[in-house]
Amino acid sequence: MRDGDRPQGRRDPALVAGRVSLSDLVLSIADNKQMLGLRYAEWATRAPSLEADIAAAAMGLDDLGHSRVLYGCLEPLGSDPRGAERESHPASIRNLSYFDEPWTEWSQFVAANAILDTAFTIAIEACVGGSVEVLQHRLRKMLMEERYHFLHGRSWLRSGIEGAPLLQAWQEALEFFGPPDGETERLHGDGVLSMGPQQMRSRLEEQLETRAPSVAIHWDVWDPLRRRTAEGAVDQHTFGMLRGLEEKRYAPPAAAQQSAR
Amino acid sequence: MGPGGLTSTSYKRVSGDAVEYEVFARKARVDPLHLVGSVVAPDADLAMAYARATYDEERWCEMAIVRKADVIRLWSPGE
Repeated sequence: MRDGDRPQGRRDPALVAGRVSLSDLVLSIADNKQMLGLRYAEWATRAPSLEADIAAAAMGLDDLGHSRVLYGCLEPLGSDPRGAERESHPASIRNLSYFDEPWTEWSQFVAANAILDTAFTIAIEACVGGSVEVLQHRLRKMLMEERYHFLHGRSWLRSGIEGAPLLQAWQEALEFFGPPDGETERLHGDGVLSMGPQQMRSRLEEQLETRAPSVAIHWDVWDPLRRRTAEGAVDQHTFGMLRGLEEKRYAPPAAAQQSAR
Repeated sequence: MGPGGLTSTSYKRVSGDAVEYEVFARKARVDPLHLVGSVVAPDADLAMAYARATYDEERWCEMAIVRKADVIRLWSPGE
C-alpha cells in the first residue's frame, strides 16, 4: 500500500482485524509516546545527575516528536479513531496505566525507559517491517533515535532498581503487546505487522537480555483499544495540559475573551 | 583557589564509579574530528546516550566518545 494513495475515511480491510484496526494500534503507540515524553520531561530537573537531566529532556522531546509523527500517520491509514470524546474524557487517551500519574521515584523512570520505551520501539519495528508503506517510511527514523533511549535505559537498569516498578513495567509491556490470539496477532498473520505479540515479547526479552517475569494477565478484562487491563485514566492536571486547558488559565484576560468568542 | 574554594587540583567532576568521557564530533567528512565537550557516566552505553542528548543540537555527521583516562598526553598546559 502506497503512502498517500488511500482515500480519506476509507479503511483497507487488511488493516482492520475484527473491531481493532491498525490505526487503533498506531494511536495507542502515539498516545503512549506522548505520555512517555511528558513524564520524561517532568524529570528534566530531578534526575540524579546533570547528564541524566539533559537526557530526560532530550528523550522527552524525542518521544513527543515521535507521537506527532504517529498521529500524522492516522489519516493516510484511512481512518482516524480520535473522536470528540478526547476533548472531555481522560479515559479516551489510550495510554497505559503506568503513565496515569506522574512518577515519584527515579526507579519508575528507569523501568519505563528500559522496558516500556523499548516495547513501543518494538511495536514500531513491527510496523516498519510490515506491509504498510506509510509506516515503513515515516517511522524508520524513530528507530535510530530510540537506540539512545535504549542505551540509557539499559545502563540505568543494570545499576539496579526497585522491583515493583520493574514488575509493573513488564506487566504493562506484555499487556501492550496484546493477547497471543487477538487482533494484533491477526494483523501479524496478514503481514501488516512483521511481529505478533509472542515475537514482540521475545524481542523485548532478547533486547533486555532477560526473561519476562511471570505475571498474570487477565485478558478477559483487557481493553483492546487502550491495551490495558487496569481501569483509570491520566490525571486531570495532565489531561488539562494535553488539551491546552492549563495554558488558558494563564492567558491574559483579553486573549481569554477573544478565544471564548 | 578556584570558584567555591576549590583548588584547581582538588576539583574532580567524577565521583564514585563514574568515568569522564571526551566527546568528539564533526559536521562534514572533510572536517577533522574536534573536541565538543565531555560527559560523566558509569559506562560507555550511558556515556553515548548522554553525549547524544547533550551535544546533538548541531547536525554532526560523526560523533565519538573516548575515555578521558585513555588519552595519552605528551604534555599538558603549564608543563
